Amino acid sequence: MNTKILLEHLYIVFASVIVSIAAGLPLGVMASLYRPLRKPILWISELLQTVPALALLGLVMLVVGAGKTTVIIGLLLYSLLPIVHNTYLGLETIDQGIKRAARGMGMSRLDRLFSVELPLSFPMIFTGIRIATVTSVGIAVFATSVGGGGLGSIINQGIRTQNMKLILSGTLTLMAMAVIFDGVMALIEKRLNKRVSA
Amino acid sequence: MIRFEEVVKKYGDAVILDQISFEIKEGEFAVLIGPSGCGKTTTLKTINRLIEPEAGRIYVEGKDIMDANPVQLRRKIGYVIQEIGLFPNMTVAQNIAVVPKRLKYSKEEIEQITRDLLDMVNMSYEEYAHKYPSELSGGQQQRIGVLRALAASPPIVLMDEPFGALDPMTRNVLQDEIIRLHKKLKKTIVFVTHDMDEALKLADTIIFMDQGKIVQMAGPDEMLENPASDLIKQFMGKRLSENGVNSLTAADFMKSHPASAYRSDGVKKSTQIMARRQIDTLLIKNEDETYAGSVTIGNIRKFGKQAQTIGEIPVTPNAVSYTKDDAADSFEKLLDSDSDFVVVLHDNDTIAGIVTKTSMARAMADALWGDES
Repeated sequence: MNTKILLEHLYIVFASVIVSIAAGLPLGVMASLYRPLRKPILWISELLQTVPALALLGLVMLVVGAGKTTVIIGLLLYSLLPIVHNTYLGLETIDQGIKRAARGMGMSRLDRLFSVELPLSFPMIFTGIRIATVTSVGIAVFATSVGGGGLGSIINQGIRTQNMKLILSGTLTLMAMAVIFDGVMALIEKRLNKRVSA
Repeated sequence: MIRFEEVVKKYGDAVILDQISFEIKEGEFAVLIGPSGCGKTTTLKTINRLIEPEAGRIYVEGKDIMDANPVQLRRKIGYVIQEIGLFPNMTVAQNIAVVPKRLKYSKEEIEQITRDLLDMVNMSYEEYAHKYPSELSGGQQQRIGVLRALAASPPIVLMDEPFGALDPMTRNVLQDEIIRLHKKLKKTIVFVTHDMDEALKLADTIIFMDQGKIVQMAGPDEMLENPASDLIKQFMGKRLSENGVNSLTAADFMKSHPASAYRSDGVKKSTQIMARRQIDTLLIKNEDETYAGSVTIGNIRKFGKQAQTIGEIPVTPNAVSYTKDDAADSFEKLLDSDSDFVVVLHDNDTIAGIVTKTSMARAMADALWGDES
């Protein structure tokens, strides 16, 4: 197994998740804060997920050109849904009493958002990030089709050369990666939930 | 301190506040009460501009609140709600510090305030300051909710059914604490409740609302004595019919079956009755059961030797009430007379019972503490 390929795969996943958070979190907040934006934001993030991953990457490639950037943009669009949705839901499900108390005590809108609402939504947002990360591990396999490299290239090579060992080693690495991410993040999530539950 | 002038609030066609005007003085504990939907919570929320009225003016400390920045205004008005609303992501100390921190108090100052406040409700700083709300009981959480509202020493505190979700025992304890805090800190408190017992216990002034209007604004005693409408009477409910001294009759408080003897009964038999019941005075009846007077042990000693029947011994006149008389009247007669009791008679002058100082004490205890006694 080539370490460089493994790191390449991890890089694609991490980069795309970080960009997804940077884009998805503000979108989720806007969906919750501004009523008119709610439907369009939620609808577009849902729509993006219905496009087949390979097709989405292909479309992005036609615009941006082949390479890692294409993969990261593609994964960003794909990861938007869980992050936007969970941010929105997290903010919406905050206890009305807590919201009313914060307002009644004289906290401004942004103060309420950063001091109370986002910290309380964080476990839910983190769940979204976990889902995005784990799906990205799998979808990043298609990176190789648009010139992005990663573990997909090993599987691809295995398919072309009909090499069972190669296919398996690529697949098992992917599966292990997904399971580890999922497990570790689920653990963190549990601890987060314990802290903010009233 | 807080003045409403013809304040109107509507939701669509529904009029929630119908031109209400009133004034709450500095340091006053005002309780807003009424049936659900009467506008009491809306009234409260207009004071810190969580709800803004369509018409009318509201002045806090002489200034029209519409001229103030709502965020700044709210920091000067404490706010306690039924849902408590502590921030679960912050410790007790951080929750208490929310407003002081935003008013740029120093760290040392905030810690001192937190210590003092926790001290006031007998919660130790060391034990509780760094706990999260989820680690506290409901009663402790609402104590912190009250402290959080007091942290920046606002002159006014709004409380929206703050103890409504607590169990009766805890509610009682917190009511006592808020009375104590109010006495000590002299804040102006506006308190919403639907519980008349709570209102009577806490209020200096009760503001009774119905259908967006103020029906009566009066002190607890005045409202108990002269409720302005049938609805208020209903709210007072049991207190008026059972515990209000005014509507009670002598019969409600008399001891029935007092020791008595017929005029024709022998002196010896009569003294035995008195010895057995351990009393020093015996009620005397005529043969037709009507009340004749009472004989004291002193008179029996003086005249008993010559007399055959108790009727021959001079009777002492006693103050007399009738069963349907006001209890308060018979209490007054009791206090005015030298005797230890007032005789209560039926309409046909037969003996119904006696009212003693013990019955009077019991009546007063009931009126003051109601069901709790």
